Amino acid sequence: MELILTTAGSYPRIGDAADLQRHRQAYAQRERGEMSEEAFQKVEDETTAQVIREQIEAGIELVTDGQIRWYDPFSHFARGLEGVEINGLLRLFDTNLYFRQPVVKGRVRRQRPILLREYEFARSVSSRPVKPVLTGPYTLARGSVLGGGYGSVHALAVAYAGILAEEARDLARAGATLIQLDEPAILHHPEDLNVLQEALALLAAARGTARLALHTSFGDVTPLYRDLHALPVDVLGLDFTYSPKLPALIADAGAEKALALGVIDARNTKLETAEQVFPVLDAVLPALKARHAYLTPSCGLEFLPRERARQKLETMRQLRDAYLGGRS
Amino acid sequence: MSRQKLKRLGLDLPLLPTSTVGSFPKPPELAQARTKYARKQITKRELEALEKKATEFWVQTQEEIGLDVLVDGEQYRGDMVAHFAEIMGGFQTGGLVRSYGNRYYHKPVIVGEVRWPGPMTVSWWRWTQALTAKPVKGMLTGPYTVMDWSFNDHYPDRKSACLALAREIRKEVEALIEAGAKIIQIDEPAISVRQEELPFAIEAMHLTVDGLPAYFITHACYGAFETIYPDMLELPVDNLDLAISNSALDLLKIFEKNPFTKDLSLGVLDVHSHKIETPAEISARIMRGIRVLPPDRIWVDPDCGLKTRTVEESRAKLEAMLTAVRQIRSQRTSTP
Repeated sequence: MELILTTAGSYPRIGDAADLQRHRQAYAQRERGEMSEEAFQKVEDETTAQVIREQIEAGIELVTDGQIRWYDPFSHFARGLEGVEINGLLRLFDTNLYFRQPVVKGRVRRQRPILLREYEFARSVSSRPVKPVLTGPYTLARGSVLGGGYGSVHALAVAYAGILAEEARDLARAGATLIQLDEPAILHHPEDLNVLQEALALLAAARGTARLALHTSFGDVTPLYRDLHALPVDVLGLDFTYSPKLPALIADAGAEKALALGVIDARNTKLETAEQVFPVLDAVLPALKARHAYLTPSCGLEFLPRERARQKLETMRQLRDAYLGGRS
Repeated sequence: MSRQKLKRLGLDLPLLPTSTVGSFPKPPELAQARTKYARKQITKRELEALEKKATEFWVQTQEEIGLDVLVDGEQYRGDMVAHFAEIMGGFQTGGLVRSYGNRYYHKPVIVGEVRWPGPMTVSWWRWTQALTAKPVKGMLTGPYTVMDWSFNDHYPDRKSACLALAREIRKEVEALIEAGAKIIQIDEPAISVRQEELPFAIEAMHLTVDGLPAYFITHACYGAFETIYPDMLELPVDNLDLAISNSALDLLKIFEKNPFTKDLSLGVLDVHSHKIETPAEISARIMRGIRVLPPDRIWVDPDCGLKTRTVEESRAKLEAMLTAVRQIRSQRTSTP
């Protein structure tokens, strides 16, 4: 069994150390009109390169760009669209992070690729493969204010999916081999699984040679675990921190798809131990059909201070090595 | 029912008592002094002198506006959780975490048994109450919210962290009551974030207040109604403070199905908007409440703390609120 180390999306932009303040200072300078957009973009580039280097040093084998340029998981993509305006702040699920809500005013359309440049830049500065992470069409639609002729979450999710499919096609052509779609909202609306299925089918048709990973977090996935296997994706990313019964369920139900095991809590500072993680791996790994699985933090790491985010990744690598070492 | 409790506590409040949720904006000289203090450029004593001056200003302003139940305005607090975490035992200041845009905060970390360090808010409460004949509320952050806004390196799970906090915060409630506080607000803005955790959030509130002689108010944030009503009625407090200014919530429909059993503070001012509401707009919002609950169970306040507004905006909004309340009161007394 191969256990590939990956991250799940965001990464802290700044740290507490004096030399890790650059992004925050530049952001403030830009807000005060003391820094141009181009100069700020350079700082974002530098920060992105830095957090990729940090992931690689911590042992991550499939990195993300840390979503350094993302204001939040909703408005970043929505800002690239026609027909959508951006509203005030709302709490992101049960986290202490706030997002700006997209408000749909007209037909949604993209004028040009939204995430392609970000991916290409990340790839150019990374010695390891990069996984683009996108907020999925269903969650985007759930977090938006309906309008512009879209009368239901269903209609809007399908419209967003059409655009995300173009994004996925661009990313696959640019070399992405695994594209992650975050769909936390489905955990709170299991009745909409068919909507998610229809939306994801559009992405699946456009993904080319890339594989799709669906990641759920911010809720208990056990009630939906079996049903998620029917979705047109290749990998299922699971947040274990809400679901004490998930290991037993997987052991019992098995897994047709490859799994990304979110056994490292990206929301709390406490570092995981072998006593916590090994029993989970013992239960889950024998039930997997694929010859590989991913180990990942439960969600993006931006909920942690920078230093602790790095320690979480180092812990994940140590646990993986110790686990495999003890069994070979 | 709670009117009787207020009477027993010796409080005779008018119809539609008016109050605020807790924080008022810090005057610019205090905001600057806080930065200087953080950089060790001024002493604690110099900072406190400005905090007291600002508190006096806000007490006087609240009296001029005509509010019925006053607050100290939290001129000495940074945020609602870090303030307590800095004083209580068992916490460490955590690293920086982003909350939105370019805003970061030091999220506290529970690293040991949480411990009440002796009175945390009593001296401010006592000092403020001495400035006015109106009742001043004791203001605390609830155990669930303190837990939810902290990292937990110590307790095995969120529930045990929350219940441990409840036992310690209760000591602060007791100290406030001993000092003479009759109305105590225990804020739980995080309470609606994980529905499945509501039972232990309620259990924690029982540990915090059961058997203690005060009128208890809990402020929750926008969204609480949709997600945790009617279960939230099991919170053992007398008054639930809920934001309705921004919501198209049909209270009538909700209460028809599950009658509201407590006093209700109607958050009628949108604190996140610069716009000053007109008395007519505010009246309409109050009337939405009066249509579904007897008016003697309704309080009126803004929908959250006013600290993000300017001094002038805060004052103008509250004056409009009082104008609306006075109109409704006079209509009620003139028509038998």
